Amino acid sequence: MSLTRRDFLVGSVAVAAGTSVTAPFFWPKHHALHPMARSRVAILKAERYASDLEQLLAAGLREFRVNVRDKRVVLKPNLVDYLPGDAINTHPMLVRAAVEVFRRMGARSVTVAEGPGHQRDTQLVLAESRYQSFLREDRIRFVDLNRDELVRTRLRASYTGMKELWLPRAVLEADFLVSMPKIKTHHWSGVTLSMKNMFGIVPGARYGWPKNILHWKGITESILDLCATVPIHFVIADGIVAMEGNGPLNGTPRSLNEVVLADDPVAADATSARLMGFEPARIAHVREGARFLGNAGPDHIDQVGEMPSTSSVPFRVVPEFQHLHAR
Amino acid sequence: MAKDLSCLQSELLRRQLPCGGWAALVSSAQAALEPTCYSLLAMNTNTGPTIQTALRFLLRAQSSNGSWPVFLGDDPDGSWVTSLVTIALRDDIDAIPARLNGFHWLLDASGKEASWLGRWKFRTTDRHVRFDPDRYGWPWIPDTVSWVVPTAFAILALRQLPCTCGGFEQIPGRIEGGIAMLLDRACPTGGWNAGNGVVYGEPVAPHPDDTAIALLALRHHGEDPAVQKARKYLEDVAPRLRSPWSLAWTILALAAHQRPVAALRAALAAFPELMQTEDTSTLALACLALDHVRSLVSFGVDR
Repeated sequence: MSLTRRDFLVGSVAVAAGTSVTAPFFWPKHHALHPMARSRVAILKAERYASDLEQLLAAGLREFRVNVRDKRVVLKPNLVDYLPGDAINTHPMLVRAAVEVFRRMGARSVTVAEGPGHQRDTQLVLAESRYQSFLREDRIRFVDLNRDELVRTRLRASYTGMKELWLPRAVLEADFLVSMPKIKTHHWSGVTLSMKNMFGIVPGARYGWPKNILHWKGITESILDLCATVPIHFVIADGIVAMEGNGPLNGTPRSLNEVVLADDPVAADATSARLMGFEPARIAHVREGARFLGNAGPDHIDQVGEMPSTSSVPFRVVPEFQHLHAR
Repeated sequence: MAKDLSCLQSELLRRQLPCGGWAALVSSAQAALEPTCYSLLAMNTNTGPTIQTALRFLLRAQSSNGSWPVFLGDDPDGSWVTSLVTIALRDDIDAIPARLNGFHWLLDASGKEASWLGRWKFRTTDRHVRFDPDRYGWPWIPDTVSWVVPTAFAILALRQLPCTCGGFEQIPGRIEGGIAMLLDRACPTGGWNAGNGVVYGEPVAPHPDDTAIALLALRHHGEDPAVQKARKYLEDVAPRLRSPWSLAWTILALAAHQRPVAALRAALAAFPELMQTEDTSTLALACLALDHVRSLVSFGVDR
């Protein structure tokens, strides 16, 4: 059988077309970020929001030997909206305690930064959530990430297919970014913890309220792209009063009485999920994040202080996420 | 009150960037379109050069497809601020061609529900948020669904066109569709939030600012039960509002619906540290609310 030049050309075009269609499915969606070999997590017992939180955090942070001297520290709480009750947003007393502790540790600056995902009126959320008074009293700088100056940022993973996002300068210029989520269930992603908390850095003024583009590109995929692009250096998760059921807004407060500290967001979220009675490997962004962002398996997490125990009564979730429950 | 207004306008003037625009935050030098539009509308006629440089800035910022970006340097795909810019440019004769291009872009823009695929998705697989996908309006950015605020601003903008001829024949239909969408997305307890009234069978709470902006667009639908319920919600929440942004929008909306606003305007003027507010849009909106009669004309909402 002889191969004509025409056959060769047609064949080459077919191979090229096939490759261009199928290759993206096989390309890795993330670069090797070399996460730490072992991660550290501390679970701190806290019965209520009180002034002794500062002492508790200081003692917890000492275990990690965190060095923030002369660094620009940015604390990113979860302030999604305001509804009466304590369960939606990271409690202001925990954030206030964290600011004070990082200041004492010699940080060059400590900024609180957030871009609420539902509410355009950030000042209203701050006032109603009792942030405004302590920010003023303690002269703490707050940056509204929905309206901060924006920098075109190339994404360091490609789960969403987006090449880049406009992200706020205050977060990109942080030397030490602390994700401070509220431990909650979430009706679209199962849980909202330190990694999902990063949705708040996507500017509403550019992408809208809610940040709908992230939903269309996939919540799990967006979480992974964001966490790969803007590394979280530390986690302080508010689980003193958490939320179960139809979170992140309409769930039910649930007393967990824990604050979770971690030097790895994947380890923080895996541990928090266990505290909620969930199997971390069943949470898509935790499972995938453990491949390149951090550690989810207990074998790779060094526990400081109290050992995690599964909730005797697991957190309630919407029907779509019943499969998260550890059995 | 006039003194308060003039002080706030002076502060706005001080914040104008050399390029003619305003940044979203006082600490920023990145000119953004939303604060520029509110600031331009808030300036009185004695500040001629300021207005001229702001107008020129807006004209320069227009993308080749007729839309406006969110900030200077942004991608040229287009955004929700296109509606606001066409409103801000309403009194500038030189801006007529630019505005017409903006209106054309707005007519072509719609939420993803406008496509059969989007509607099919919301009818079959994505049904946790209660809404009628046949009723759509405008998105914040292309390739996303319709939301309350961009739809309300688009309605306000398109209503300002004096006629619907010359390629604008679709305008009445689009406005009607947008109004139907707003009425459909109202919260069960009255008012609006971003656009999710009921999620997983549970009502989601309204927001004062979103409600007020929707009410501005629905000025001529005062008899509709959803509008009456929203007005009641806003009147109830107004005296307790602890933020100038929401209070300013509330004043504009209630004034448009012929409700008394004198006490609310006094409360706004007395707001602590209003001059120092980091957010320039809030400062400009406070000016607009304190001068609400003139401002409503700018938004095309006659009392």
